[in-house]
Order: sequence, then C-alpha cells, then structure tokens
Amino acid sequence: MAARILLVEDTPTQAEIAKAMLREFGHEIRHAETGAEALAAAVEWQPDAILVDLVLPDFSGMELMRRLKAARIEAACIVLTAHGSVNTAVEAMREGATDFILKPYTAARLRVTLDNALEKRQLRQALDAAQTQLGRARFHGFIGASPAMQAVYRTIESVAGSRATVFVTGESGTGKELVAEALHQASSRSGKPFIALNCGAIPRDLLESELFGHVKGAFTGATDNRLGAARAADGGTLFLDEIGEMPAEMQVKLLRFVQTGSVTPLGGTRPETVDVRLVCATHRDILAEVQAGRFREDLYYRLYVVPVVLPALRARGEDVLLIARHLLAIYAREEGKDFSGFDAEAEAAIRAYPWPGNVRQVQNALRNAVVLHAGPLVTRAMLPGLLLHEAAPARVLPQAPPSGLPSGPPLGIEPLAVSERRLILAALEHTGQDVPRAAALLEINPSTIYRKLTAWK
Amino acid sequence: MSALDPNIAGQLAEDLSPDVFRMIIATFEEDLTRLVKELETAVLTGDQDGYERAAHSLAGASAAVGAVGLERESRIAMDHRQPEPAATVLPRLLTEAKAALEALHDLIN
Repeated sequence: MAARILLVEDTPTQAEIAKAMLREFGHEIRHAETGAEALAAAVEWQPDAILVDLVLPDFSGMELMRRLKAARIEAACIVLTAHGSVNTAVEAMREGATDFILKPYTAARLRVTLDNALEKRQLRQALDAAQTQLGRARFHGFIGASPAMQAVYRTIESVAGSRATVFVTGESGTGKELVAEALHQASSRSGKPFIALNCGAIPRDLLESELFGHVKGAFTGATDNRLGAARAADGGTLFLDEIGEMPAEMQVKLLRFVQTGSVTPLGGTRPETVDVRLVCATHRDILAEVQAGRFREDLYYRLYVVPVVLPALRARGEDVLLIARHLLAIYAREEGKDFSGFDAEAEAAIRAYPWPGNVRQVQNALRNAVVLHAGPLVTRAMLPGLLLHEAAPARVLPQAPPSGLPSGPPLGIEPLAVSERRLILAALEHTGQDVPRAAALLEINPSTIYRKLTAWK
Repeated sequence: MSALDPNIAGQLAEDLSPDVFRMIIATFEEDLTRLVKELETAVLTGDQDGYERAAHSLAGASAAVGAVGLERESRIAMDHRQPEPAATVLPRLLTEAKAALEALHDLIN
C-alpha cells in the first residue's frame, strides 16, 4: 500500500539509502533533518508513518516522539537505531513507537517493518471509526448508545455543515431541542446565536412579534423596538419548536421569510435580510396535519428538507438505564443525596416501563425519587408507582360500611381534592407528562397543574 | 581484513539499482569529506562535542554502506570514555576511510 512516509534522518548517506528504498516501495516521501523540521512537517503533512533516527542535531528522537504525541500526530512511529538494546526498544515503545529497526537494515527488513506498522495503524483507524460510529454513548447533549440513536448522531453530523433546514419529529420528551442544539454546536455557526422559540407556548397575537420583532408603536403596548427571534438568530440557528401549533396566518408569514430570507418587523416598512439556519420540530404527524389542511403544504415542502426522526425511549433498548444513571448522578449532587446507582429490581423496573413521556418522564420520576428518599441505591420501592404497574391498577371503590356503623358516603363519592389529583395525574400519564397538553385536555391553565404538583410534593 | 562487510555492501548493491547505488556512494563520499574536515577542525579547536558529533555521523554513514573498519574507528572516536587521543585515532580513521572508498568504487565497477 502506498503511504505518506516522513523520514527523520540527519546523515545524508543514511537518508539517501532510506529514500531510495521507500521510493522503490512506491511511498510518498518527505525528509526532515532535524526534530523541529520533522514536527512541522508532521503537523502540516499528516504522514501515515514516521521513521525516526534517535540522534538528531536539535533534540533526540525520543523527545520528537513525545512532541508528536503532544501534537496529536497519529502516524506510526518507527525508530531507527544503531543500538539494539532492550532498554532502547522499551523506551522507544513507551514513547509511542510502533516498532524499531536496527541500522544498517536491508530493504526487505524496512519493507516488512513498515508494512506491519501501516497495517496496524489502518486496523486501529478502522476500529476507532467503528467504535465512533457504533459505540457513542454521548453525543452533544444526548445520552444513548442504541443503534437508533447512532443513526440520529450520524444524520446530525452529516447535515451540521449544511444550511439545509432540518425538521425534527418525535414524541414529546425525546429531545427535539437537543437535536437543534447539536446541529448548531456542530456547525460553523456555533459562535453565533442559537435562538429557540416554542410556537405552541406563545399566544397567537404575540407570535409574529416574537418571531419577527416589532417597531415602537406598532401596537398598543409596543413601547420599544423589539428585535424578534429571527433577527436575534442572525448568523446562527433559529429553532422553531412545536411548529405544528403555528396559526395559519403565521404560516404564510413564515413561508415568506423562508422564501426571501428577509423579515419585516411588525409596524416596520423595510424588510431586513437575515441569515439563519432553520430547525423545526413537532410532536405531531406533520404530514397528517398537511392532509387535514391544518399545515400549509407549500410551507411543509420548504421546511421538511432533512428529516430527523427521534426514536421513543421505549425503542432505545438499554439507553433508558444510561440516561437514568446519568440523571441520578446529577440529581443526587444537586439535592445533596448519596445515591450512587440503582439496585437490580429498580433497574429491571426502569427497563420494563414503556416511558410514554420519554426522557422528560424519566427526569420527573428520578427527581421525585431523589427528593423523597435517601440511601446509597435507589430501590424499586422508591420509584413512582407508575413504574411498578405498567397498566394503571383498577381503582378500588370504598366498600359499604358494616351495618350498625354510621353510614359513609355513597359508592363512588370521594373528596373533591382526591378526584382532582386523580384526574390531573391521569391526564399527565395519558400525555406522557406533557403539562400543556394535559392542561388542554382538562381545559385548565398549565400553571394550575404546576401549582398543584408543587403543593402535592 | 576487508574494509567492507560484504553482506551489508553487497545487499545494498542488490537492493538498489546501479544508478541509485552509485548516487549513494557519491553521497557517502561527500559525507566522508565533510565529516573528516569537521573532525580535523574539532581537533584543532579542542571542540570535544563537535568531534564526537562528527564521529557519530561518520559511524552512521559508514555502517549504512557496510564500511565496517571506518565504522569501528568512528565509534572509538565518538566514545569519550576510550583512552586513545584523537591524534592516534584520526590517522587510523583516515586510512580506513580511504580503504572503504576504494572498496566501494571497486564494487561499483
């Protein structure tokens, strides 16, 4: 195999012999006569192998290998030495040499040693690449080593450098915003702003102003100019979460923005060009929304350029345990608790539960366990009841009191506070711990749910 | 005793094409001229480090072409622990250098 070989040798006769042999093998060669020259050439040229003479005019070959290692040069280093002592060999290997050759050497000896070193390096690179592709347990903000997540990581890496709009779908709590953040961090825009806007959490009257800004006096209460998310993200990334909730009239304005790349603040007259990379997300089936006429088809085609589908936690195998351990360490530290892991039963319960609320639900469950309990290990009994019974147990209605005792409430009647709690928890479970959706089902304000949850702790 | 190790010099002549082998011998000759000059200058100026450095390079160059006698004398010169003075070693080294060059030229021809 032809490779890039850097020869570090200060004696011309020895250098010419080595170069003649390397040329004969078909390698591309560079020659350095000093350690400093070698270091510069290695950084600039990134050779596959470096043949290092141990005695150099400026510093030793051992020192050169130390500096190459510090500079993260991953070439295979082969030491050329006239002293075949075990000590020299051991020291060379310790400094990162792959092999060493005794001088003077034959062409056959050089070829075998070099081929072995290059093959070993190639295998190491292939192994590293495979491990990187298959075994990453962390990627930006994500925790997860499952094949499903490796595919997500690869997609993010592939498209990060592009300007193409990314459309993230996945159930609530799967980490859609993390995708947007990872895309931003892995792109050349990482030094510029990352602005996230939840289209479902902003009243429709305010959405245009939040997205495109407004000028002073544009409407009652507009006492100052407002930049808006699109202009605030100029040069960076704009993440539009829950885009499926965007009202129809705003969809038209967003389409215009995507088509022209310019925004006109509310009340303004002049459009301003904005350079943003758009990332959109929704927990809804966006194509079904298009078919139902709730989401503009033309906007869909503009935004749905690179889809990223986040798998539900129940489809990610052992990832749930990796996530649970990671979160437990964080919460134990934050809450000043000694938890260092889970016992076997707790791990089994975590594995078995389908986690309809995905990572967000794991967060809630573990925060709850850490706050309410103490100990070195989280046990099964410390986990919220939901985990212990996959299907909600049938509610046991109060029995009629024995005769002769004062009569209790009629069957099915219970204190209002108990009913309220039961319904809120049921709604949260049904929506996968998504408070806004649960609130919508109960036709109450989300803040009511938050207030109640706090009171029940 | 031959100035060349036939295994090393012969293998080199076998490994490389005649043109390349000739170029290597020419390079060795240039090295030899330069390094001998450095050795003599170092002796005259009392530069022990320079003397040992030049002797080390000469040992490497001569070993590469199989000039075993010259290599031996060069290694004596580069070893500051050996008792012989430069005035004794250098003439022997020059004799070996001459013999090595002659033997290499014979090999080319």
